Amino acid sequence: MPPHVPRRVLITGVSNPLGAEVARRLAPQVPHLFGCDVADPLSALEAMDFVHADTRLSVIGKLVRQLRIDTVVHLAVMVDSPHDERSIHETDVIGTMNVLVGCSGPASPVRRLVVKSSQAIYGAGPHDPSFFSEEMINWDRPASGVTRDLLEMEQLVSEFALRSDACEVTVLRLGFRVSEATSLARYLSLPIVPVFAGFDPRLQLLHEEDAAEAMVRATVADHQGAFNVAGEGVVLLSQAIDIMGGRATPILPPYARWLSRLGLKTIARVELPAYLTDVLAFGSVMDCSSLEAEFGWRPAHSSRQAMDSLAEGKNAELIEAPSPPQEYELQVYLQQRRRRMLLPIHGGRAPSGHGGAN
Amino acid sequence: MIAETTPGQRRRNSQKAEIVAPRQGLRLPKPVRRLRRQAPMYALQAVSQLSARLRLLTGRDIIDLNRIMEVVQFIYQQRELARRGPNYAVDDFGFDPQWTESFITAFKTLYRDYWRVETTGVEHVPSSGRALLVANHAGVLPWDGTMIKTAVFTEHPHPRHVRALVASQFMGMPVLSWFLRRTGQAVGHPDDTRRLLARDELVLVFPEGTRGTGKGFKNRYRLTRFGRGGFVATAIRAKAPIIPISVVGSEEIYPMIGDLGPVARLFGLPYFPVTPFWPWLGPLGMIPLPSKWRIQFHPPIDVSDLPAKAAEDQHLVMALADEVRETIQRGIYENLKLRRGVFL
Repeated sequence: MPPHVPRRVLITGVSNPLGAEVARRLAPQVPHLFGCDVADPLSALEAMDFVHADTRLSVIGKLVRQLRIDTVVHLAVMVDSPHDERSIHETDVIGTMNVLVGCSGPASPVRRLVVKSSQAIYGAGPHDPSFFSEEMINWDRPASGVTRDLLEMEQLVSEFALRSDACEVTVLRLGFRVSEATSLARYLSLPIVPVFAGFDPRLQLLHEEDAAEAMVRATVADHQGAFNVAGEGVVLLSQAIDIMGGRATPILPPYARWLSRLGLKTIARVELPAYLTDVLAFGSVMDCSSLEAEFGWRPAHSSRQAMDSLAEGKNAELIEAPSPPQEYELQVYLQQRRRRMLLPIHGGRAPSGHGGAN
Repeated sequence: MIAETTPGQRRRNSQKAEIVAPRQGLRLPKPVRRLRRQAPMYALQAVSQLSARLRLLTGRDIIDLNRIMEVVQFIYQQRELARRGPNYAVDDFGFDPQWTESFITAFKTLYRDYWRVETTGVEHVPSSGRALLVANHAGVLPWDGTMIKTAVFTEHPHPRHVRALVASQFMGMPVLSWFLRRTGQAVGHPDDTRRLLARDELVLVFPEGTRGTGKGFKNRYRLTRFGRGGFVATAIRAKAPIIPISVVGSEEIYPMIGDLGPVARLFGLPYFPVTPFWPWLGPLGMIPLPSKWRIQFHPPIDVSDLPAKAAEDQHLVMALADEVRETIQRGIYENLKLRRGVFL
């Protein structure tokens, strides 16, 4: 059988920032690119046909058959999003099930499926080994929230992979990302960062660009199986807070972590998902050696560099409207002056699409 | 979108440039400032003169200048550490060598002056490459681990950091988990051992685990069960030599006469010790007794010629584990004989 070359690619959840970046990178490499999401895309992409479609409805199967899609990139998986638990479950489990149903069947044109998963699937606890490799998913742990949804989702995906031989299935477990909109980045950017007393966990981070690059590489070539994707090395939580210029204050009690979540939500206005509070206590690091062996590529940014780029981004400010180049300096000057006059307001939440931010 | 368009608006909204200058507050006069800067140097000079004078008078070293220099070095190291900010790197296990080495001075004092550790056979530890160190575990708190680490780092001609494996329940405890990770310890999980050995590190395991540290004083120097021999299987797979270590003296630092099980369960601890001093004297009861220690490193047991399949041979694994256990037990008895008294 000749290797499958993607010709008609469908990206679900294309309106979240990662989906937009994957679409932008895939556009020159594939002849036909389609995207679907419930929200409008962040920026128009000429090479992509956009469809308003909800993965939670069976319309996705019709879409796949009608458009004769041969490669599906499933990014409509919410990991870090402001939505409530119920709708996250609906999107992650029911949505993925719909996509899988759409891809299955004897006459299905789909030859490759790439699914986004997350490091959150491993959870974090004191009894875990220092590194998670791909087969170390802890099925026995009483998981909750996103971790349970992801476990359920990956089980569905692996059952699908066993059932359908014609379709190559790749699952990428992306590491935690710290771009502007993720809750981890918002937490680390606080001026006074409450941390768990007596804990300084290791964080492993993934740069946005590397996440998109890994997705694209999994789409255009055949790499079957599940892979961990994260930056090289680790950053200690205290180090990360130092890089962001904040001050770590050990005021959170190490037990009853839901209490700390509630406190962070009401006082600091940072809503951390349950799996992230576990990570902030015990740390979570993945072993990415099988990614390197199979893809022949590894993320270009280390965890430290991902953290540094967030710190750089904190000092820059987005300029709203496009303006002629000669006005740029003036804009920057005015904004700097405005910043000096009034304190920057944190916690502004960008409207996020289907997939949330992470 | 330009908010301020007209020059008048811009002038109205403009602010005076801020002059960045040193703070004009209370500033001590120059000679005082100079004195404050140079005071440590003067103090050191005075101490060295005093020590020279005392040596002339008595003919012996009353003040050991090396010790004083170590203390000064410790203080300066801590200041250096505080100054480096976030610009340091830890390895993937969360080990910070520079931070750990700054504490070596403190542990060296315990090693040399408090427990007067006598170490033999440290030359059996390879100066490069992997090895699995296996030791007996005793005392309520794992001071034996820190002393083995200090012994290898200070006595070995090629100082190396030993990475000990810790029971996972300690990784869930505040402060402890942070300190253990930062000083290079890993979770006692076969996968962690494999990874550390693959990086050519020295890995220290206590196969007795909390059974060893939590045993009563009347059972001192009697090795408990050696797990299921998992450490041997890991060593065979990694082709790492096994170096048995006998530690004598760690049993007497906290003579444990009782164990309050319900209290331990309440706090999630493996045991809650009762010693003649703890918990009656509060924090004072946590001070270990100054027993005399001996640490003996035994010749390595080479397993590199065994095939990787031998790790599944339970019979062979248990036989090797028993051999290691015998060596350690014999070493303990020999060293007990060499020791003149518990506190001498």
